[in-house]
Amino acid sequence: MLQRYSALALARAALGRGDYWRPLWGRPAPEAAYDVVVVGAGGHGLATAYHLARDHGIKRIAVLEKRLVGYGNVGRNTTIVRSNYLLPENHYFYEDSLRRWQTLSRDLNYNVMYSPRGVVDLATSDDEMTAYARRGNAMRLAGIDAELLDRAALARFVPALDLDAPRRFPIIGALLQRRGGTVRHDAVAWGYARAAAALGVHIVEDCEVTGLRTAAGMATGVETSRGYVAANRIVFAVAGHTGAIGTLLGLRLPVETHLLQAMVTEPVKPLLDTVLVYMHPHGEVYLSQSDRGGLVMGGALDGFPSYTREGQWSRLEDVVQSAVALLPQIGALRLLRQWAGTNDQTMDGSPLIDRLGWDNVFLNGGWCYGGFKAIPASGAACARFVATGTAPDLIRAFRLSRFATGHLLDEKGAGPFPARQ
Amino acid sequence: MRISCPHCGPRHVEEFEFRSLVPAAGAAAFERVYERVNLPGQSLEYWQHVHGCRAWLVLDRDPSAGEVRTVRLLGAAP
Repeated sequence: MLQRYSALALARAALGRGDYWRPLWGRPAPEAAYDVVVVGAGGHGLATAYHLARDHGIKRIAVLEKRLVGYGNVGRNTTIVRSNYLLPENHYFYEDSLRRWQTLSRDLNYNVMYSPRGVVDLATSDDEMTAYARRGNAMRLAGIDAELLDRAALARFVPALDLDAPRRFPIIGALLQRRGGTVRHDAVAWGYARAAAALGVHIVEDCEVTGLRTAAGMATGVETSRGYVAANRIVFAVAGHTGAIGTLLGLRLPVETHLLQAMVTEPVKPLLDTVLVYMHPHGEVYLSQSDRGGLVMGGALDGFPSYTREGQWSRLEDVVQSAVALLPQIGALRLLRQWAGTNDQTMDGSPLIDRLGWDNVFLNGGWCYGGFKAIPASGAACARFVATGTAPDLIRAFRLSRFATGHLLDEKGAGPFPARQ
Repeated sequence: MRISCPHCGPRHVEEFEFRSLVPAAGAAAFERVYERVNLPGQSLEYWQHVHGCRAWLVLDRDPSAGEVRTVRLLGAAP
């Protein structure tokens, strides 16, 4: 069933009559029962299903998706991957993910275009440089690459950035992670879907989960728009709508749904060969140039709960103003597209991977800003959790009970205000 | 999105700041701080007109449609 992609296969396809290419995954109807049902065919759901099949030999797996593969945040992010976190629980987890990104194209036999172009966190004050030095040192102690760049080193690393340009918040240095960079986001969804389908996973699109059926303290299956599907284990990987799923199941979860916008300019010749992150007291922007030439950027959350997937104009203005302050030479470019995704924002800004209400129901969500870059690690760890019943050390800190026991992972120190996490 | 402030009339959302969801009635301290009722069709929220009259407001919104249903001053009868 799986076509093995290679340079030779590509050459043969190019010379053929266009009949080489096959659909990457099928369109199976949902069966009456599965061993594991994963709800949500985004990055996390597909990666979890893929690892359940590949690493744990589970045969009957379905991924049920309300709309279509990659409709949600896996196709709406700004494609940045990095592991430059301060807290050990976060940086070990995201480092595991970054290492998996490095080999993912080979593992999936699908080019996800991992580009280690570096992630540059710009500092605008001595205090920020001190905080970056501390964060970089914490990373290096964990064996993760981090470099503190002074003004001269930053000027050499990012020639497009004119440090002498007049700015309300001048840039004085940066923290660089060279192995950070970008990954082609849609290819991640398609690559995981293709690899999972090749292992026998049923990917069922247009199938909305509307309820959970339980008996004797265990979940027995899910009600869907295409009928009842029985399952021994159920995984909810619906980040953006985790709160709504909680309400559906009668659970109050430590999460709110907020909008995060992104936008891209018209394509231009190569200008920027790294990722810039510019946070200042009046706003923030993170910006990179796609392979097509567009400058992809994002910034802060819209600031209040929403499921609309339409960003507020005022936030778009904030982000663009920060981007132009950073790179004045892009001021004449036109924006090509703007879009928004629904974020699970948790009370400490860190993810939630745990059992959810019942022994055989699992939650993979609460991804806040960190969802895309976490996909490979999240899929592998969540699959192990579901298959063995024991959470691997890597994700034990993401348990739901941490709010009650006081073991919060508040990377930003913002407190239980999801709009500020 | 526009919000009709009871003092200032309809104003752009930029003038306001979302403060928090209204906690469920009778919720204990832990639940008030850390747990949320997320209804895609209805959201009861505290907002403040920070760049206007600075009054605290209670909004009844539909976060799926992005619409404000009702606005009242905090403390006023619903």
